[in-house]
Amino acid sequence: MIKKILTSSYLGLLLVMLYAPILIIIVFSFTEAKVLGNWTGFSLKLYASLFQGGVTHSLSAALWNTLIIGLTAAFISTVLGTVAAIGIFNLQQRAQKAISLVNSIPILNPDIITAISLFLLFVSVGISQGYTTVVLAHVTFCTPYVVLSVLPRLYRMNPSLYEAALDLGATPFLALRRVMLPELKPGMISGFILAFTLSIDDFVVTLFTIGNEGLETISTYIYADARKGGLTPELRPLSAIIFVTVLILLIIINQRAVKKTNLKTT
Amino acid sequence: MRRKIISFFGRRRTWSIPYAIFLLIFVLIPLALIVYYAFTSETGGLSFENFRKFMQHPEAINILIYSIGVAMVTTILCLLIGYPAAYLLSRLESRMASLLVMLFILPMWINFLIRTLATVALFGFLKLPLGEGALMFGMVYNFLPFMIYPIYNILQKTDPNLIEAAQDLGATPRQVFFRTILPLSIPGITSGIMMVFMPVISTFAIAELLTINNIKLFGTTLQENIYNGMWNYGAALSLVMLVLIGITSLLNTGSTAKASEEGGLI
Amino acid sequence: MRTFAQPKYPIVIKVLFLLIAAVFILNACRESEQSRKKILKIYNWADYIDEDLLTEFPLWYKEQTGEEVEIVYQVFDMAEVMYTKIALGKEDFDLVCPTQYIIERMLKYDMLLPIDRNFGKTGDFLGNISPFLLDRMDAFSVPGKKAADYMVPYMWGTSGILYNTRLIPTKEVQTWGCFWDPKNKGKILMKDHYWDVYNMAAIWGFYPEIASGKRTRYDVSNDHTPEDIAMVEKQLILLKPNLAGWEADFGKEMMTKGEVWMNYAWSGDAVWAIEEAAAVDVSLDYVVPREGSNIWFDGWVIPKNARNVKAASYFLNYLCQSEITLRNMDVSGYTSAIGTPEIRDAQIDTTLTETVNLSYFFGPGNDSLLVNPIQYPDSSVVERCVLLHDFLDKNDTVLEMWSRARGDSLNRRMIFLIVGVLILIAALPVYRQIKKARSKKRKQTKK
Repeated sequence: MIKKILTSSYLGLLLVMLYAPILIIIVFSFTEAKVLGNWTGFSLKLYASLFQGGVTHSLSAALWNTLIIGLTAAFISTVLGTVAAIGIFNLQQRAQKAISLVNSIPILNPDIITAISLFLLFVSVGISQGYTTVVLAHVTFCTPYVVLSVLPRLYRMNPSLYEAALDLGATPFLALRRVMLPELKPGMISGFILAFTLSIDDFVVTLFTIGNEGLETISTYIYADARKGGLTPELRPLSAIIFVTVLILLIIINQRAVKKTNLKTT
Repeated sequence: MRRKIISFFGRRRTWSIPYAIFLLIFVLIPLALIVYYAFTSETGGLSFENFRKFMQHPEAINILIYSIGVAMVTTILCLLIGYPAAYLLSRLESRMASLLVMLFILPMWINFLIRTLATVALFGFLKLPLGEGALMFGMVYNFLPFMIYPIYNILQKTDPNLIEAAQDLGATPRQVFFRTILPLSIPGITSGIMMVFMPVISTFAIAELLTINNIKLFGTTLQENIYNGMWNYGAALSLVMLVLIGITSLLNTGSTAKASEEGGLI
Repeated sequence: MRTFAQPKYPIVIKVLFLLIAAVFILNACRESEQSRKKILKIYNWADYIDEDLLTEFPLWYKEQTGEEVEIVYQVFDMAEVMYTKIALGKEDFDLVCPTQYIIERMLKYDMLLPIDRNFGKTGDFLGNISPFLLDRMDAFSVPGKKAADYMVPYMWGTSGILYNTRLIPTKEVQTWGCFWDPKNKGKILMKDHYWDVYNMAAIWGFYPEIASGKRTRYDVSNDHTPEDIAMVEKQLILLKPNLAGWEADFGKEMMTKGEVWMNYAWSGDAVWAIEEAAAVDVSLDYVVPREGSNIWFDGWVIPKNARNVKAASYFLNYLCQSEITLRNMDVSGYTSAIGTPEIRDAQIDTTLTETVNLSYFFGPGNDSLLVNPIQYPDSSVVERCVLLHDFLDKNDTVLEMWSRARGDSLNRRMIFLIVGVLILIAALPVYRQIKKARSKKRKQTKK
């Protein structure tokens, strides 16, 4: 009995500590007070003003850019990663080990090193920094995760299925499309989602490869705002919206996982 | 001819070639560029002057050692706080279990700038001063989920039969924990350490925001040098960081190997 | 043969692919549309110009010269970022607006093109610049290149202390010493900007010599001898523990919230901050301490890689007109370098009670004007301010000193901790060996 109380209070305390900062921000996003801590009455004004930015510093532009870059990078990573995984799976031992090692470098590197290395690359080659460099950079650190998502499914796949399809008269491409891809689909989907999330969340790599032509993503927008005035009142509703979105997403994913395990046990 | 082309693409291991080229351009060459810039002086000749500069400057080494210290404190605190939390979470059997776990993982998915700004807001709200204490709190707050997640994962996957066997062999609960569960969870611990230690040294926004630019971490120095155009020196510092990563991962894999040798079933 | 349903994702993939391709193509189209000759690329500080002018200037230009031009406008908010970009040489801006010491550096290292004053039938408005700044600008001339041929001052101001009148008495902030006063610990925000801080620390540290006449403020600020640098470092080390922190931009926020009482600020920023604070009933004011400070100005220059020198020069001419200047002053809140009577008249504010001596700026006869003394400092203030030169070849030494003074967070506690942890890590394998040896012994004795 005591154990249960101790357990719940320890976990509860931790949860409070983890969520107190965010909850304070969310609560105070519903008031107009400039200083965090003053409550000047319930108001949705901050939410309304959220989307009226200026020409060079607009939140809606940043949001739009973040989504486009995220989708583009995730898409390219998924395609590149899946093709790569299929290729790697069929390599011989030594080549496989070598490419897996290089593949894990972007995962193990701290993001500032990845950022600096890509920055130096783009500057040396002379590409002007903007959309292209950001997407390329995101693809660089997302694809390894896609590869790691898809490879296990390749290992789990029954190899004779592909052979059987070939025997039944399918061309290699048809066999690929009809037999392999459906097997890999779960890995591809989770790879895509992972890549998309990583891209949206990324800060350091984006900061170093975004150049200064005015391109902004959510992360750089928040950083620019934060350097000007700490947590400006405008950032409060933004944080609240991001928090609620992530919460809903995770609940959905969680429910689907629970449903799956329930289906498996029944 | 057409047959040859088709069979070339049909051989699936050639599919790894595009990705291999991609990795070469966007992972290996940038790293090589860091090495190149690190060993080049500002005027373009080969030289060690960047490293000499680093060695001769007590403040750069000062910052590096301080950052290592902050990372150590953060890692140890995250371990002390996070391991019990992960352990308790893995023991939970209620239906709320997966929901609770999700709540602990959720902060990882919220943009890290927002998490940091939330900590600043918390301190402002509670009228606590910003500074070294705030920095430590902010670091632990930011990285705790990264420690809990791998440990929880490993504990989840622990074969319950091993625990039962230990109990059957007459071990006290204390012995069961320290001789069986703890050693088996070491891969999770090392994973957690890797995900906390190096990122703490290499983040820069957190120190800026939580100490009003008073305390500089190594990541800040790195970022400043690149921003100010001192790419050679910045590259040299990145190299130092890479060496650090190498050492810590060697230490980690070393201890994991040792632990799996012993097994803990003495 | 195809009896089972087609999987849906090929369609999704195709649509996504088309979308992405469209985005890339649109992007590429935008960039290659215009021919470079008809573009004027401007690189300026953020919030520093009335942006309507960017669309009005092409019309004026067409009227004056019959040629077309379109402005491409980029902003920066950190001087180092701007300088790095220009120094790299890969950009082709036609106009940049750096601060005076960076202009000095660029002029010395041959990174600028002269302004083309062949304005045809258009009047030459560059003469509207106040002689006060033209004279001081001359200090930057290098052999063969007169500064006035290469730059056009834009906005200028002083550096001083922005303070909260209700939280700290006005007479205390008349001296830089209030920053070093332990009474104010944790209530001061410093600028993370080594040029200004060097100047302040040097003047404060050497004030006895300045007061007794042994050295001038100008020499103290611009000599950069090793002794000067050492004195600055000494003062910085004394200053650092007394500060709340270092800011580049968020000083005004923290001042408005009352979290800090004093902030090193530039006059243009101060004017803006005072207004904003007044709107939330916080009373701020600005003063240049009696020991002295610096005058700065931002100026327009044409970098070496510029491709449209003609339009650039015309733009500068355009900016020097009084009406245009007033609009820019309005939007940015700073004080322009233009000294025409129209500007002067627009600044008169009859609600003020104290007059300011501005003969040094607007010419003789202007020694008691009712203007905002922060925007237009009295001659007594200007007398104790100096124009800062760039550190040039001493730059690296000063930066090293700056890092040294800033980066000493390592304290004994931390060192003990690190050593302790390292000992523990080293002890672990030793402990294991001991355990192994012991259990081996036990096994042997059992046998």
